[in-house]
Parts: sequence; structure tokens; C-alpha cells
Amino acid sequence: MLERIRTLADRLIGLSAAIGSTALLLIVIVVLIDVIGRAFGKPLYGGQDITTMATVILVFAPMALCDRLGGHISVDLFERYFPDAMNRLIDIAVAAMGAVIFAALAWATWDSAKLSVMLNLSTNLLYLPKAWFQWASIGFLGLAALGLALRALELSITGRDIRKETQS
Amino acid sequence: MSASVTGVVGMLALFALLALRVPVAFAMFVIGFLGIWALNGLNAATSLLASEAFTLASSPELVVIPLFILMGNVASQTGMSRQLFDAAYAVIGSIRGGLASATVIGCGGFAALSGSSVASALTMGKVALSEMDRFKYDDRLSTGVVAAGGTLGILIPPSTGFVIYAILTEQSIGRLFLAGVLPGLLLLSMFVLVVTVLCMIRPELGPAGPKTALSEKLRAVSRAGPIVLVIFITIGGMYGGFFSPVEAAAVGAGAVILIGLVSRTMKLPMLWAAAKDSVVTTATVMLILIAAHMINPFLALSHMTDLVAQAFVALDLGPMGSLLLILGIYIVLGCFLEGFAMLVLTLPIFFPIVLEMGIDPIWFGVLVVLSLEMGLISPPVGLNVFIVKSVAPGVSLGRIFVGVIPFWVMMLITLAILVAFPQISLFLPNTMFN
Repeated sequence: MLERIRTLADRLIGLSAAIGSTALLLIVIVVLIDVIGRAFGKPLYGGQDITTMATVILVFAPMALCDRLGGHISVDLFERYFPDAMNRLIDIAVAAMGAVIFAALAWATWDSAKLSVMLNLSTNLLYLPKAWFQWASIGFLGLAALGLALRALELSITGRDIRKETQS
Repeated sequence: MSASVTGVVGMLALFALLALRVPVAFAMFVIGFLGIWALNGLNAATSLLASEAFTLASSPELVVIPLFILMGNVASQTGMSRQLFDAAYAVIGSIRGGLASATVIGCGGFAALSGSSVASALTMGKVALSEMDRFKYDDRLSTGVVAAGGTLGILIPPSTGFVIYAILTEQSIGRLFLAGVLPGLLLLSMFVLVVTVLCMIRPELGPAGPKTALSEKLRAVSRAGPIVLVIFITIGGMYGGFFSPVEAAAVGAGAVILIGLVSRTMKLPMLWAAAKDSVVTTATVMLILIAAHMINPFLALSHMTDLVAQAFVALDLGPMGSLLLILGIYIVLGCFLEGFAMLVLTLPIFFPIVLEMGIDPIWFGVLVVLSLEMGLISPPVGLNVFIVKSVAPGVSLGRIFVGVIPFWVMMLITLAILVAFPQISLFLPNTMFN
């Protein structure tokens, strides 16, 4: 069962990272067009709007992959002094803590999105609704929470640490 | 419990969580959220959570981070570091210690393409270590020079360290980038000087390489021409006021991608991989920044900054004494904390004191970033040393740490020079922006 959830989660994590990468390359193209256009007196209309909202996507989309690859910075000075059981316990607790944090962020963004819909908030020039990008962020944050919760489960039930498999 | 006591308890809890290997971002989130809850209630904490993450992620200036990371990743994958090294090698490789000096210059050139010290050490290590090994360089010098040269990545613009500093302190990214140019070149020269002096005293450390013909020299230098042009366009464009830092980053990233595709050193799957690496690194940085925006209000509400400021006033050191004390703290902390985490954790406390004392925030930024660089090669957690170890598995960590000592001392001397002569850091930003 866990194995099937892992496969599904990995597919979604890969997809969300791909969306983030696309957003990054889109930003490069948009800013380049804007700069070149400006040199000829025709900057890209709404370029700033696209860049800003694409940044939101590229920030939140790879969060799940970042954890999957063990990308979060931590101070591991004392790891070798702790017994194995304690290290394992810490890994489980940290993954569970991360899941709660990302879930809380998703929930808080949901609240903001409701406000954006109510006030009809949008970008300045292209009038892109802010809520669209907040909903997308909720999806990415939710996926990160799911990934961390799954990691906590795997660590506690089977002892499997997916980050180490990725590194090796 | 008073606000100050809550602040102290919160900071102790934060350090306890960090010691327990809780990721820096998670620890700051938890302490920031719980601290604000304790001081101002649950509503204040949840409101902050709701507003900060999305607001920060949609800050237009933040996009400079992934763009410069992409630029560095593409430059690394397309072998541009090799071309920079080859050019420097062709010119000075035949003198004693020349290969090590060429490595420093290559690192400096790559630093101007990449904002990351780790990327500089890794890519230059792959290129230069085997060459130095071939010419029987002492492994302490060869590994030490790569580890130290790699640190130039965080000082020479574009620098992720400066971007983070700028965001946390609301300073101009462009000013900070320009402020890093001359100190970066000074440090690079100091590294070359230390290599030259070491090889003069003990020639066996870095024997001379083979002489290269003038035509070969010219060919190697011309191959590095496009890369030098990209550096000139991005940094020169910012200095000349043609580009904002975000535009310079996008133009630089676009240019290296174009060079890679035209020269066929980059295929689309490589570009995709570089983009993916870049967004993952961005996620790491962004989560910490979002968390920093959770813990900063807690530090303000609990008057932690005021407490530290009062302690500084009580010490009666004056601005220069206080600055030296802060830099000393950074150097010591750099031995134990990852540089970026250290920046995020300490700036909210030290920066208001620095402003209060009338210290120029741009100058302070340069000094702090140089202190972070020193942490990158300081035991026991000198990240660059571990990176070099991964590229040179045959050399013990102890020998690499011995190898970096002369360079670390040079960094300390450079820091002292920059403290004594603030104009070195401030000349370029002041001439441009004033």
C-alpha cells in the first residue's frame, strides 16, 4: 500500500517540479523579450505581471522535490553523537513537523485566496486573478505536506528513508 | 512571563531544535509561530502565516535568486569553468604555482557567472585538481586552493549571499553586487599572492607547468571570450544602469544558455536538468526566507534586538569596536553554522544595532558576506572543504583543512583591509548611484 502511494506521490512531485522548471524558463524568456523590446522602445506589456506570478509557481512547485532530495539545510554537527534510535526518532518527528508546517501554510494560503476572491484582487496590467496562483500554491504546498507525511510514515513503519535512496 | 523572557526561551528552544537536526526553516517556523502566539495571540500568528508566504513568494526582486542559480548551473554543465581555467592556465600555468593561481582566477571568473560558492568549488575542483595532480602539486595546496577559490563565488557578484542580505535588510541588490566587485578582486589577488609566496618559499609545493606557445595562449583566451563577454554584459549592464539585477540575471542566464546551445555543449535535457536543479535550490532558500519572516516579528515583539543592543551599549565599544565584535561573532559562528542559516538567524538581531551605530549597511553587507566565506572553509563544518573532499577522495580532510589555512589567514587580512578602508567596498556603488 505504502509502495503504491509512494509511486503516485513521486509522479506528482516530479510533475510539480517540472511545472516549477517551466516557470523558471518562462521567466527567462519573458524578461529577455522585455529587455530586448525596451531597447526598441516596445517593452513587453504586462511582463512584470507574468514574472511575478511565475515566481510564485517556481517558489512553491519544487518544495516537495526539495524535501524528497533531502534539500533542507540542517545542522548535523551532533548526529554522530546520538544513538541510531534517537536519530531515527528525530527523522520521524522532523518529517511529521514539516508535514504540519506545510499543511498550515496551505491552510493559511487558502484563507488568503478566499479574501482575494472576495476583493477581486488581480495583477496590475494583465488582471491575472491572484487567487488562481494562490490555489496553485495550495496544491503545491499540500503536495509537500503529503510527501513529508509519507516520509514520516515510511520511516516509522518500514524504516525506509527515501532521501538516502535519492542521494545514493 | 515577560516578553523578554519569552524571547530568551524562544531563542534557546531554537538552538535546541537546530542541535537536534531540525531543518533551519522548520525550526524558525515553529519558534516564530509559537512565539507570536505566546506574545500576541493565535490570531496574530495565523494572520502572519497567511500573509507572509505568498507575499514573499510574489516579490519581483526575489526572482534574481533562481535566475543566477540557473546561470551558474548552465555554465557548470556546459564546461565554461573548464574554458576559464584553460585560459588562465595557458597564460600563467608555466610559472611556479601557476596552475594553482590559474585555479584561483578560474574560480573568480566562474564566481562572476554563479552566485554559489559550492558550485564554484565543485566545478573548478573537477577541472583543476586532476591537472595539479598531474604536475605533482602538493595535495594540500591543490585542494586548499580549490576550497578557498570556490568561496569567491559568494563575494564576487552575482552572489546569493548578497541577495539574501538585501532581502533581509531591505537594501539594494544592485548596490550590494557592485560593492562586492572590488573586494572580490582584492581577495582574488590575495589568494594569488599567497600561492606565489608559498611556492617561492617551498618550490616543491607547486612545480612549474609546461610552457605554451603564444598561438595556444591566444586560442585558449579567445575560447573564454564569450564567457568574459557574458560577465561584462551582466555586471557592466548593472553598473551602467542598463539592467536591473533581475534583468541582468535573466540576460546572463539567457546568454549562457544561448552559448551552450550554439556551441553544442548543451543539449535540451541538460538545460532541463539545470532548470530543475535551480528550482530545487530556490525552494531551499525560499523556505528559509519565508521562515525568517515568521521569526523576525517574534524577535521584535520579544525585544530581543533591544536586549542585545543594550548589551552592546553597556560594553561601550563604540561603532568600530562593536563592528569588530559582530564580525568576530560571525567568524566563530561560521565554524558551526551553515553560512546562509547564520545570516538569516543573526541579521534580525545585529542589523538594527549596526544601523543605530551609523555603520553603512552596504559596507556591513560586504564584511558579513566575507565572514560567511571564511566559515565555508573553517572546521568543523566548512562546506567547501567537504565539497573538495568529494572531488578528491584520496586526500584526507585533515590535509585539506591544513591546505586552506594560508587562504583563511589571507581572508582575515582582507577583512581587516576592508574594515580599515570602507571606500574599497563603497566606491563602485557610490559612483554609480550618487
